[in-house]
Order: sequence, then C-alpha cells, then structure tokens
Amino acid sequence: MGLLGRLFSRRRRYDDISVSIQEHIDERVDELTAQGMPRAQAEQQARREFGNVTLMEERSREVWQWTAIESVLADLSFAFRQLVKAPGFALTAVLTLALGIAINATMFSMVSAFLLPHLPGRDPQHIVVVSSVNPSSQFQPEANPVSAPNYFAWSSNTSIFAEMSADNENLTGSLSQPGQQPEAVSYAAVSPNYFSVFGAAPSMGRGFLADDAQPGHSHVVILSHGIWERRFDSDATIVGRTIRLNREDYIVVGVMPASFRMLGFSPKLWIPLTFTAADRTPEARKNRFLYLFARLAPGVTVQQAQAGLSAIAQQNQKDFPNIEQHWGASIRTLGDFLLYNFDIRAALTVMMTVVIFILFIACANVAALMLTRAVGRQKELAIRQSLGASRKRIVRQLLTEGVAVGLLGGAAGLCLSWFGIRVLRAGLSFNEFIADVPVRLDTRVLLFTAAISLVAAVLSSTLPALKISRSDFNVDLKGESRGSTSSRSHNRMRVVLVGGETALALFLLIGTCLLIRGVYTLENQKLGFSHDHLLTAGLTLDHTRYPSAEKQAQFAQDAIARLQQIPGVQYVVAASDLPSSGPGSVSIHMKGQPEERPAEQRSALDVVVSPDYFAAIGIPILRGRGFSASDDESAQRVVVVNQEFVHKYFQDRDPIGQQVQLDLPGTASVWSQIVGVTANIKTYSQLPTVDPQVYEAWAQRPVPSFSLMLRSSVEPDSMIPALRSDLNQIDPDLPLLRVMSMDSVLDVQKNGDPLFLKLLGSFAILALVLSTIGIYGLVAYSVGQRTQEIGIRIALGAKTTDISRMILREGLKVTAIGSCIGLLLALPLPRLFSSMFDGLIVSAPQVYPIVFAAMLLVSFGAALRPARRAAHVDPITALRNE
Amino acid sequence: MILQSLRVKPMHGYALVKHIKQVSDDLLQVEEGSLYPALQRMLKEGWLEAETGISEKGRPTRIYRLTEAGVRHLEKEVVSFERMFAGITRVLAVAKA
Repeated sequence: MGLLGRLFSRRRRYDDISVSIQEHIDERVDELTAQGMPRAQAEQQARREFGNVTLMEERSREVWQWTAIESVLADLSFAFRQLVKAPGFALTAVLTLALGIAINATMFSMVSAFLLPHLPGRDPQHIVVVSSVNPSSQFQPEANPVSAPNYFAWSSNTSIFAEMSADNENLTGSLSQPGQQPEAVSYAAVSPNYFSVFGAAPSMGRGFLADDAQPGHSHVVILSHGIWERRFDSDATIVGRTIRLNREDYIVVGVMPASFRMLGFSPKLWIPLTFTAADRTPEARKNRFLYLFARLAPGVTVQQAQAGLSAIAQQNQKDFPNIEQHWGASIRTLGDFLLYNFDIRAALTVMMTVVIFILFIACANVAALMLTRAVGRQKELAIRQSLGASRKRIVRQLLTEGVAVGLLGGAAGLCLSWFGIRVLRAGLSFNEFIADVPVRLDTRVLLFTAAISLVAAVLSSTLPALKISRSDFNVDLKGESRGSTSSRSHNRMRVVLVGGETALALFLLIGTCLLIRGVYTLENQKLGFSHDHLLTAGLTLDHTRYPSAEKQAQFAQDAIARLQQIPGVQYVVAASDLPSSGPGSVSIHMKGQPEERPAEQRSALDVVVSPDYFAAIGIPILRGRGFSASDDESAQRVVVVNQEFVHKYFQDRDPIGQQVQLDLPGTASVWSQIVGVTANIKTYSQLPTVDPQVYEAWAQRPVPSFSLMLRSSVEPDSMIPALRSDLNQIDPDLPLLRVMSMDSVLDVQKNGDPLFLKLLGSFAILALVLSTIGIYGLVAYSVGQRTQEIGIRIALGAKTTDISRMILREGLKVTAIGSCIGLLLALPLPRLFSSMFDGLIVSAPQVYPIVFAAMLLVSFGAALRPARRAAHVDPITALRNE
Repeated sequence: MILQSLRVKPMHGYALVKHIKQVSDDLLQVEEGSLYPALQRMLKEGWLEAETGISEKGRPTRIYRLTEAGVRHLEKEVVSFERMFAGITRVLAVAKA
C-alpha cells in the first residue's frame, strides 16, 4: 500500500478508535441520565467505569504499530519538538557537538586518504614492491630503488616472481608545444609490462607493448588523466597525436584513468623504459634508480619471497664487495610500501588524537548541558512516571533526545567539515605528492561522521539519563528537589565532567606547545649560509640539445655571464644541488691512507659548484682557497672540502695538498687535489646533522641538472622576469623548475610543518575555549543551586568578598585538580614525540608550569563573573525564592 | 464471543458490551479495558471491518461488522471450542463418578 497510503489509513484507524471510545462513554452517560442521574455526575461515573481513556486509546493504537520502531520514531520526533521549544539549549549543544564532529571528520578525511591509501589496478593487494635496503641512509632506508643489473637478475627469477616491472620515477623534462610556454613535467619511464602487472586498463588507447621498449620504437607516450585534462583540454582525439617531450616527438598511444594513482608516485606521463649495454655491466650496479612492482609466483608468500631475496642479496655482497657492501633487498606489499615510503603516520596520529580528545571535551560540555536541562525537567519526568512510563522508557526518552542532538550535531558538523576539507586542501599544496592525493568527503568519511555522531550522542546523554532516572520521583513531584541530595549528586557529576575536560585540555595544550617549540627550534637553526636575497632556479639540460659536457659547460657559462648583467645582481653561480637540500653522496678514496676495508667505505656529500659559490652564499673559507676561473678542464682536478670532512677523515690535520678520488657513476675516477676548506653547513634544513662534504669545480665536471643562484641587493622575486627573459634568449625551449627565493625553498622543505603547527595550535585553543566554557557553566550552575545558601550567608553577615572568594575557590579547586591530572598525563610526551618524529628533540620543561599557570588564570577569569554575581545576590529575594 | 455477537448483528462498541451482558444473563461482563484493543486486533487480522456512520442520536459512530474471513475464523473457533468443551465435560464426568 505504500508508506503514504499506510499513513492515511493509520489516521483513519486512530480516528475510529477515538470515536468508538467516545461513543461508548456517551452512550453510558445517556443511560445513566435516563435513569435519573444528573448529567455531570453521570459523566463522572461513566468515565470512572470506563477506566483510563488515554491508556485505552494507546493500547488500541498499539495494535496498529510496529511497536519497537514506532515508539523509537515517536520518541525521536518528540525529542526534536522538545529541542525546538528550547532553542538556547539546542543551539549550544548542537553547535558544540558540530564543532567537535566537524574537526574529526575533516581530519579523518586526511587519515582516509593517506593511511588507507587508494591502490590502483586489479587485485592490488597481491602486488609487491621490491626495493634495496640502503645501509647508510637516514630516511626510509628500505625504500631505496634498485639497480638495473639486479632488476634483470631478479625479474627472471621465476621461482619467486610471476612477473615484474620496473619504474624509473621522478624524471623531469619539458613539454613544449608551438606557441605555448614550455612546461616542466615530472614523468616516469616504465617497462612495457608495467600497466599489465597492475592490471590497470587505459581509459583511452592502449598500454605499452613489448615492442615499445625497442630502440627506434620507443617514442610513444601514455598520458596521465591529470595532464590530459589540464594541458590537453581532455581532447578526445588525443590518441595518435604527437607531442613534444624534451624536444623530441612522441606519439600518444593511450591515456590512463584518474583512478591510476599511488601515494608518492605522481608522474604526469609515462614513456617506455629502454636499457643500453651499459646497464648490464657491473658498474651499473652503482646506479640505483628503479622501483620494481611485481606479482609473486603462485603459492609464494611475501615472507618466503623476502627470504629468497635476502639470500640473493647476501650473494651479491660476496660477488660485488665494493658496490653491494651491506646493501640488502626488501619486499613489501604495495599498500605497506606506499605507507613506508610516504610516511606521515606520526603527524596524522597526533592530529587524530587531538581532535578525538576535543570531541570528548565537547561531549563533556554537552553532557553538562543535558544534566542541567534534565534537572529542570524533573517534575515533568515525575509526572511521566506516574502516568505509567517505566524507568527504562524514561532513560530511552532521554537517550533519544541525546541522539536527536547528536544527529543534528552530526549534520551540522558534516556541513562544517565540507568547508574544513576545502580549507585543508588549499593548505596541502606545499608538496606535489600530497596535493595529488584527493582529500574529500567520500563514503568512508560519511560513515565515520555518522559513527562518531552516534558515539558523541551516547556519550553526552548516557550519564545524565542514568543519573536522572535514578532520582526519587516522589521527592521531585513534591517540589523538594532543590535542596535534596539528588541535585548534589548531579553537581558531583558535573564536577567530574569539568575536571575531566580540564585535564584533557591541559594535556592537549602542553602537547601542542611542546611540539610547536620543538619544530620551531628545528626550523630556525642556523644553517651555516646566508639564505636571504637569494633567487634560485632549477634546470635540466636535456640530452638532445646538450649532448656533451662541453655544451653543458658552455650553457652555464653563457647563462652566468648574461645573468650577471641584471641590475642589482652581486653574484651568479651554478650548483648541482641547493645548499642544505640533501645532496647525493659519493664514495671516496684517499691517497696515502691505508686502503679501507669494504666495510668502512668512506663517503661524502658531493656538490658541483661554479666559482664564486662560497662568496655568493656566504660560506667562509677557513683554509686555502675556493674555485677560480683557472680551474677548468685542462687544469688539475681540484676539490674543496668542508670542516667536517677534515675532522672525520684527516683528524683535523691540514688537508691542503692531499689527494682524494671520487667514485662517480658514469665517469672514470680521477685523483683530485684538495685546495680549500670551508665552514660546515647543515645537510638538511630540517635536521641538525652535519656530514662531510666535498665540492667539485663546475668547469671540470659540469652536470646537466643543476640550479642557478643569484645573490642580489634587491628582492629576489623582483628579478624573476629578468631571469626568465635572459635564459629564454639563450634557449627558448628550456623550462625552468621551481623559480623561487631560497627562503621559499627552505619553506617548502619544512614540508607542511607550518600547516601542521597552525592546525595543532588552533585545535589547542579550541580545547581551551571549550573547557573554559565548561568551567564557566559549572561555577554558574553551582551559584544558581546555592542561591538560598548564599542568601542565608549574606543575611548572616558574610561580606561580598567572602562570597566571591568562596565561589572562586570552588571553581579553582576543580580546575587545579583537573590540571594536575593533565600535567601528570603530559609528562611522558617529550619522549613520545622524539620517538615519533625523526630528529625532533623536545626539551622545553618550562612549558609545563607556564601552561599550568595559564590554565588556572583562564579558569579564574571564567569563574569571576558568576562569582561576582553570587556576591551580589539579594538575600531577601534569594530566601523568598523557593 | 465478540465475533459471534457481531455475526448476529453488526453494532458499535457499547452496544456490543450490553449485548454480551444481556445474552449471558449477567454471567459475563466484558472488561472495557480489553474490548477496544481486542476489536482493533480483530480489525488488523481482517475478521472485522469498521463502518463509519451516524447513530440515531446524531453522534458519529463506528459499526463493526464481520467479514467473510471473520465468518470462517469464527466457525473454526467454534468447532475447536466445542471439541474442547466436550473433552472437559467428559473428564469432569469421570471425576464426578
């Protein structure tokens, strides 16, 4: 019959019942009056004989109801109507919950996107990633890429792997279209079976074929969905067209769908991976650049595969002791690897914990509100009970009201979180990989929001409901509840609630202050060079136009000469890596020193720089000299080392004149002479470590991928147009990467710390505000309850200061106890943070007393107003007001 | 009993009460409290239907009348009741003897 039809027929049934019953009574009245009874008496008697009309009607109606669901729905609609009648309470409660739920939903959207990452392809849980284990790396040592010879060996190992593909990621090149600005893109070169290992089908065109890896056929390209949409305007006819990558023509053979994405891997397009003979030599083992995605052979578990690979790695160490020393191999499932490789678990865990605690604080506030409200309705509930409602029914009614508030709060919170997610997304743009992960209000987030709304509702309403249902209703009916023990026990519960939320709030505040302090110290450490007024631009000289070292050196020379002409420029230099940005390292050998055992391979960070580099970025030269124009390819090879190098490898003796040999991949090793020693700079801007470093002269070993740096007296950004136009004149097709001031580069390296800290800070303040509201509510309520008592005290001669002091003392007592608990809970935090966050040393014991004092101060302020009001109670009205 | 009474003559609630009282010579009195919910249950099962009308006194009324299904159910119930009654009578007769 359809819901609506059933509704109408239900109405008719209810009508029938009422009419029948009414008629019954009327007939009886007629009978009695016919017997001579006066009408009024007859009506009374008829009703008395009939019994409880309302109960009868209800029992008759119940026949037509699906009792359980119906009464729940009735309760719910009644609850909503009650809320409408009490807009102050409803608004406050709903808003408080909405805030707590909104920040939880927003943070969960990040958790959902990053900790439960999307895996592409078919059956992605069976895909494994094979990587090398770097014995000397600090960051994710087990996610090191693999060398080509190992790839060849391992991929043909059919006892472990059914199929394996290789992925050369993070290549940068330029996309140029006639008439358009050349754009720098990051792309990847993959083996032809890459997409089929994933089981991912292109949305247009085809994947790679085995033929595509053959030289001569390899100029084909598959586009990602993002770049197809953005740069090619979602052209439906793109397959078959030619695009220009790195100044060469490539034919588009396919487009991948948007669902083909992985956390930490964001190539804009893919080209086939080609190998040369050089890739099969033992020397090629030094060059580790491939990520391997594979599927295991049938019946092989990940543990078995790991055991097998470890055995192979051991063998490698024996066969190639110079290159593979201490290097291992690791297999992980795809999901595990992505999380390991791109690990923001620590930050997200902190965030999620913080927002859940804030939800608890919000629930405590709402629980206190409900308690107040329930106390005010004691008379109504007593009447309900006398009309036949069981205690269970009343508890259920109160719970339903809580659920109603929870539902409304959840809905409002969902809307707020929609905005929150947008704001969050905007703030996530500091890192390309993070920005590429879609953070949005998806099904998981919706389900989570629904779940926590219910949890919040139950948390907020259980305690008050249980408390109220246990109270003595006879007493309530008589109106004696004011001074009775029931209200005192309610007060105790409120005290516990407020004490609890104060403890939580203090815990959050201390934790946040510690983190902020720790990260701030890390970020503002002295790096060792001057990074103000420094403009940087990244370039990659592609092989087509700059095939030889000479051409590359020539370009650098031209560029530097031109850029020197820009007004305001003091120095122009080129460097293979920006300072404090984690340059690559090389193995070194030293002449005259005993040949070290393979176990003690010496290494140093290696940067190639043009003359004037040290002056340009302000690194003092402590001994000897820097590079000059005479250090070119015809002169003797020279290097400059830093102080840490001297300390570690020369035991602080004078190294000038000593010879070192650098193990550089791809070039023959040559002995170079040390001509200077510089001061140290930090290896990474975000870590306090300093490593031995060696600088090479640009003219002696130019590299195709480098950065130009301009030191000037004017603002760095003002020189960007001049920089672009000058380089454009030398080579219009060459795209520039990341043109920004060194300060901006360092900012980017902070990798979201500013966002992290800002969020934490705002959450902590929110916690403080919520708990302050709680304290205010507690004190105000207590004053209201004790108006009589205060009136008596004043009448008996107490001064206003005595009264306010009494009230304040109470409020502060609760806060102090709560804060002490919070303080104790926060003691293990510094150690916890150090273990969670790499390199973060949190030692700020002064935070504890400062935050504690601040909390007491704020609570004092919150309690002041009700205390003042208490002191000015008019004893006569107070005593009269029963 | 309700069904049988209504089979004899469809009537409204109060009349039903009076009818049963009358016919049983005051031996049976229907508790009002159980009458109306019982009527609703029978309506729900489909053994009765309620008719809107105006009584002679000019009041709105609902007349309850037996349906086909109600007749069938009534006859089944009567048969099983008579059987049970016969059984009880026999047991009691034995006990008395």
